[in-house]
Amino acid sequence: MRILFAMALFMLAGCAAQTAAITAGGSQVELRQIQTREYDTLDKRGTLRSVVATLQDLGFVIDKADYELATISATKLQNYEIRMTVIVREREGERVSVRANARFNEKPIEDSKSYQDFFTALDKAMFLTLHKVD
Amino acid sequence: MPDDAFRLTESALEMREMQTREYEGVTDIEILSASAAVLQDLGYAIDEIEKELGVLSASKRADAKDSAEIAGKIALDVADCLLTLFIGCENDAYQSSKDVQDIKLTLVVLPDSGRDGAHKVRLTIQRVVWAKSGDLYDQETINDAEVYQAFFDKLSKSVFLEKEGL
Repeated sequence: MRILFAMALFMLAGCAAQTAAITAGGSQVELRQIQTREYDTLDKRGTLRSVVATLQDLGFVIDKADYELATISATKLQNYEIRMTVIVREREGERVSVRANARFNEKPIEDSKSYQDFFTALDKAMFLTLHKVD
Repeated sequence: MPDDAFRLTESALEMREMQTREYEGVTDIEILSASAAVLQDLGYAIDEIEKELGVLSASKRADAKDSAEIAGKIALDVADCLLTLFIGCENDAYQSSKDVQDIKLTLVVLPDSGRDGAHKVRLTIQRVVWAKSGDLYDQETINDAEVYQAFFDKLSKSVFLEKEGL
């Protein structure tokens, strides 16, 4: 009986650990800052296209792209797997914000350097969008 | 994680050129339709099309068996059997040989900012190769120029057919 009880407890603990992962994460504010960059443009389409072009330059394949929701998901395979989601949002003051989050294999990427590198690459692709002469 | 995972490498420009072709006198929708037709010819399933952004993604599972590799690994297993006097006889090496691959590709059509009426088409391809045992064998981005050339040859024909309404 005691063994059964112990087993049940063990299984319950296991369930809790599994479901905890669903909402587990780091510091929200800090992470958002690291993962977000703003650009002075109203051109959502141009921004999304720059994101797609940058992801392709970095060796990603696009899994999902939605213009209405301004969301791009992509995967990079190179003896490892990186999965990235980028969301573009229109901000006040004729700006757009680009937020990226990614995981490396099973782990979320939370170091600022990776995102800095991504935005450095995106900056180059955004150049045309930001300086478009109509 | 490798340091350069999110950095543009020196080969990025070269890769872009290898993966990009330009088409004139056709709309982005015509190019996407022609691409979907080629992919159907090649047995791909279309996973995603977002025409506002000119993005098309497709995938297929294909044979990845390499007869030379299989022959080599069977020979290894046989040698192993002989060496262990048939005691430790298992076909481990054979089980570790390539079996199937999941191929996934994205094609992006963008208007060429420099030339009116021209579109750039960029294709990127990845694959995951599985061993017979079901374990991951390899995952990689395809860097073989011939693969891209072969696709674009087919796409050029398909674009022509699309334009002529055939």
